[in-house]
Amino acid sequence: MSVATSRYEAPELSPAPQPRLQRGDGAAEIVFGRRGLLRLYQRTPCRVLFPLPEPGDLPVAALLTTSGGLAGGDRLALSVTLEEGARAVVATAAAEKVYRSLGPDATVTVSLAAGEGAWLEWLPQETILFDGARLVRRIAADLAPGARLLAAETVVFGRAARGERFIRGLLHESWRLSLGGKLVWADALRLDGDVGARLASAAGFGGALALATAVYVGEDAAALLMPARDLAEAGDGAATLVNGVLLARFLAPRPEMVRRALTRYVAGLRQAAAGLPAALPRLWHS
Amino acid sequence: MTTEAALYRLMTWLSPSYPLGAFSYSHGLEYAVEAGLVRDRDGLRDWVAAAVGAGAGRSDGALLAAAWRAAEAGDGAVLDEVATLAFAWRGSAETALESRQQGAAFLTATRAAWPHPLLDALALRHRGEASLPVAVGVAAAAQGVPLAATLTAYLHAFSGSLVSAGQRLIPLGQTDGQAVIAALEGVVAATAASVPASPLDEIGTAAPLIDWCSMRHETQYTRLFRS
Repeated sequence: MSVATSRYEAPELSPAPQPRLQRGDGAAEIVFGRRGLLRLYQRTPCRVLFPLPEPGDLPVAALLTTSGGLAGGDRLALSVTLEEGARAVVATAAAEKVYRSLGPDATVTVSLAAGEGAWLEWLPQETILFDGARLVRRIAADLAPGARLLAAETVVFGRAARGERFIRGLLHESWRLSLGGKLVWADALRLDGDVGARLASAAGFGGALALATAVYVGEDAAALLMPARDLAEAGDGAATLVNGVLLARFLAPRPEMVRRALTRYVAGLRQAAAGLPAALPRLWHS
Repeated sequence: MTTEAALYRLMTWLSPSYPLGAFSYSHGLEYAVEAGLVRDRDGLRDWVAAAVGAGAGRSDGALLAAAWRAAEAGDGAVLDEVATLAFAWRGSAETALESRQQGAAFLTATRAAWPHPLLDALALRHRGEASLPVAVGVAAAAQGVPLAATLTAYLHAFSGSLVSAGQRLIPLGQTDGQAVIAALEGVVAATAASVPASPLDEIGTAAPLIDWCSMRHETQYTRLFRS
């Protein structure tokens, strides 16, 4: 990918690794089968924890970035596979910080796969973009017919508590959802250039300081549109069914409003779709 | 192809009188007006500028450019990929409908009036369906209409259709509507110029409120528009 737009990057375009600041190159690969965890691979700064599941709820894997956040040039490759009939929740242990970059992008690739009859929840906590952060995140899910996926990502534009705003930098977040090998939903959000103006613009983000996107794929998605819409609208969000994918968006001027709305939505949806407890993993609340 | 011949085709295909039913879609604007997010001429200008420069104008412009190039190169595999991506890259049920219905109508009308094997092949491979930017991109490449002019005409038609919807919804007079069209020339030109320069996987939108409005429009009580 040619992302070297900064003049500081120009001389470093050779394919060989550069002798410069040490970059994180983390990975986590988690495979669940019907009976639980089948395989785990982790490479610093990625760590995977397995908190005790709540009674009556699914096994949880919690991702942790031990470096405390992502800097420009860091790369994370996260992969979650659920075999046929497996059910699991993968979340992050804390919000992920993305620090100001001197030029290079931090890149995160998320690969989700689920076999027939599997139920996968991908529920990371917020990604907080410091002013000047550059993040490229690509989320791809490959689902077998009859698999179900509930996935949500939240981005916070600046360290709100400090009054900081994400006014320059880059966010590129892309989604590709495939069902039975066919691409059914794609999206890409790209904020660059005068990010502050775009976030403030009435037709852009309308002053929102956080945005959450939630998708649900499953054969029952159409039947869940009505409850999903009610759950989303109760938190000032909105939901739709596009190409068989249930999609919801939440924007708000305060990040905690988005968190509250998304929590309500995801909790309600997992209960409506799978009869699971209407709650997110405990680490969302600790 | 001469400039005159290219103009003749583009002015036909992207005219409001081409039978696509463009007048029946507001791309979420109907809800934005209802919710008080767009109230006047300047508000309409800003809204449509965002739709063109940071919303579907940007993603569809990129898809059009990719389809044009694949058709021009005769690369059916890449064209299929772009067509599939264009179906999938929709932010709401109604904006998906808007693109799919108009794309199918464009394909039908253009195959009848300006037949070309590339259009037949596209229709055949996707069961007569196409999203609008892909149908237009392929038609333009098939007829030798240059990409830059096609993008400008496409984005002009998209913004013109939204301005017309805005005039009816707010409401605004004809003169105000034309003032908005004039004011949008810059963003149409900038988007048409920038979109083909970026690889498709580095293109993205930054107007989630438009998607949000389009989703909310699905349950709006009184509606004139299908999107």
